[in-house]
Amino acid sequence: MPISRREFIAGAAAAPAVLEAQRRPKLAAVCTIFFRYSHTQHIVDRFLDGYGWNGTHHHPPMDLVALYVDQVDKGDLSRERAARHPEMKIYPTIAEALTLGGSKLAVDGVVLVGEHGHYPQNEKGQTKYPRYEFFQQIVKVFRDSGRSVPVFNDKHLSWNWDWAKEMYDTSRSMDFAFMAGSSLAVTWRTPSVEMPTGARVREALSVCYGGVDSYDFHGLETIQCMVERRQGEESGVKWVQAFRGENFWKAYQEGVWPHDLMEAALCRSHTLTPARAGFNDVFPTFDDMRRLVKDPVAYRYEHADGLKCTMLLMSGLVRDFNFAASLEGQAEPFSTQMYLPMPDGRTTLANFFSPLVNGAEQMYLTGKPTYPVERTLLTTGLTAAGMESLYRNQARYDTPHLDIHYQPTKESTFWRT
Amino acid sequence: MQRIAVITTVYKYLSHAQHEADRILVGYPRDGKWHRPDMKIVSLYVDQRPEGDLSEARAREFGFHVYPSVAEAVRCGGDKLAVDAVMIIGEHGDYPRNEKGQILYPRYEFFKQCVEVFEKEGRAVPVFNDKHLSYSFEKAKWMVDASRRLGFPMLAGSSLPVTWRLPDVELPLGCEIEDALMVGEGGSDAMDFHALEGLQCMVERRKGGETGVKAVQLVEGDAVWKAGEEGRWSKELLTAALSRSDTPLGLTVKDGRTQDLVHNGELPKLARSPWAYFIEYADGLKATLLMLDGALQDFDFAARVKGRGIISTQFLLTPEPNVTYSARLIGKVEEMFVTGKAPYPVERTLLTSGVLESCLTSRVQSHRRLETSHLNVSYHAKA
Repeated sequence: MPISRREFIAGAAAAPAVLEAQRRPKLAAVCTIFFRYSHTQHIVDRFLDGYGWNGTHHHPPMDLVALYVDQVDKGDLSRERAARHPEMKIYPTIAEALTLGGSKLAVDGVVLVGEHGHYPQNEKGQTKYPRYEFFQQIVKVFRDSGRSVPVFNDKHLSWNWDWAKEMYDTSRSMDFAFMAGSSLAVTWRTPSVEMPTGARVREALSVCYGGVDSYDFHGLETIQCMVERRQGEESGVKWVQAFRGENFWKAYQEGVWPHDLMEAALCRSHTLTPARAGFNDVFPTFDDMRRLVKDPVAYRYEHADGLKCTMLLMSGLVRDFNFAASLEGQAEPFSTQMYLPMPDGRTTLANFFSPLVNGAEQMYLTGKPTYPVERTLLTTGLTAAGMESLYRNQARYDTPHLDIHYQPTKESTFWRT
Repeated sequence: MQRIAVITTVYKYLSHAQHEADRILVGYPRDGKWHRPDMKIVSLYVDQRPEGDLSEARAREFGFHVYPSVAEAVRCGGDKLAVDAVMIIGEHGDYPRNEKGQILYPRYEFFKQCVEVFEKEGRAVPVFNDKHLSYSFEKAKWMVDASRRLGFPMLAGSSLPVTWRLPDVELPLGCEIEDALMVGEGGSDAMDFHALEGLQCMVERRKGGETGVKAVQLVEGDAVWKAGEEGRWSKELLTAALSRSDTPLGLTVKDGRTQDLVHNGELPKLARSPWAYFIEYADGLKATLLMLDGALQDFDFAARVKGRGIISTQFLLTPEPNVTYSARLIGKVEEMFVTGKAPYPVERTLLTSGVLESCLTSRVQSHRRLETSHLNVSYHAKA
């Protein structure tokens, strides 16, 4: 029911606490599974319990009031969280979560976390996380209610390119704010540097770790959040080629990607596996790398404007995400590490989720994405294309569908404060 | 190519000598390149050779000699000073502790033997001393005085001041600091030194420069929480410092949740034996180090700065085995060896060494407040 300005002001004067509560956006979280150190836990807990931000323990000025969890098994924390935070209720369906059990959309924003959980893999090795399916159920509620609210989607959009594109197109046609992506784009950097806007990037590369259809996406976002700032707008990617195993080493030796960028990236790592017993930090030779990295993977791709990039997964050699690029007018490579305080024994809190959640928070408050979802649309397509190339015996895979244009934010959005 | 002597207590895997001296031998990551210093280690003195000793293997592989005394090492077995710089790395090894719990590493003794050679020769070379100068301020002061007397550059201290910070902040030179607090963990007298030097490298930038410390006190246990209740240290600053931590323990380890440790009541349950180091500077600034073993596993700083509010950061100690923070330190050592100028004042480490010693004296003297007129160490931070 609309209220007049006079009533609004009178209400504000009479009960500021009530008004404050009215102003606080209500959120629903739609998740696959909720266990210790799952993405859901990292993200949802930051809304419920707050997190360290700008030098204080920050409590988001919004309330996560509804939770849908697709899989509940041993190790589930959703019930403990709901008990400790009675303002958050668990609903058996996505529609009920978004309508708070009623008939119409009753929240001001949606958090979609479709990472982890037991889902089948297809023949290409892609885990069929139901992000698209969850998204479809979310937008059905939007349609049925005649109203849409901002959606944040953790990680890439869908393993299936057509579905990912449909998610993006739907957000445009229904005109709601949509954000997605990896924390790599927004976390700390050591050193704390940004790609200069309008830089002429000759070539870019990341040296990362982890498996395909998972950390490859993070390695691609590591590159994309930097190169999107280059001269001219982002204009998409023409082709992708994967190199794995022996093909990787052959390509390395043939100089398919620049060795100086690889060295620069490796020299930003904090986790270079010592190639020699008794030494704690030595630079590996080619033979050392071959011995240490059992399953190397490279995705090499060319942007429409000719920029070539390479994402390297070198598990066994590093356990972090490192970026390097050659820039026109600079003799030495530009390089940094996208630093993840990783709770795999190195830390206890995955605080790289803090800037990710903070970016989403800004969207729920302003109704505008904090950074463009097109970045993640492109890296979603690159991830799928890399998997496709691997599936097609590492043949070059043309990607005319990745004709994606966008401009980055003017201001940096990585963690600096 | 510069010729370097390394004087150390022990050279085994992950000892300070190994990861610091090895960087001269095999290079280290620096500004996105694998940097190979234009210098070579020509001599080594190693005080102890326990199981796992690497000194002979390194000498064989890299073509230098291990000498039986410090003097012979800096003379390379001859009768003249035969090196261009000296690295003293007196950390790790089996040395006794005194009644205050300080490990009696022979840094002063090593340094003194170098100085004796310098004096006989009438010529001195730059010296880097890893970590604090000596467990004894008197000896530490002698070391710094000798470097002044003989006119050789000297650098010392921890890698905390030179490692990455999250966020990458520096207090503005000449700022007015109203209150400062550091949190750390890991016990005395190894990790508290690092924490104190992390604190010192921040507060030394205040208006008027460093003027020394007039009193210190160390309290333990419930007295730490009581001091917080009484406002002797700021809960707001502790909240700010802990907001920078990536390693809260307890419930975070149990189920991953984030925690506001200052306000959720968990802190005293986790930090069962907290220590608070209270430092009163000559110019009136009061600063506190809280060592909270059991509550967290990193080093975080917060200060209230006039006109700027609270500034806080984490000193990032990168993981083993690379411990890349030590590459940052060796970068500074190399800079001194090349330029002949210390990149930051050794007085920082002198004052920190003295503050640590006096805090540990306070502890064994019934935690009483100690006047420290001897810690009148003045210096100015580099811009």
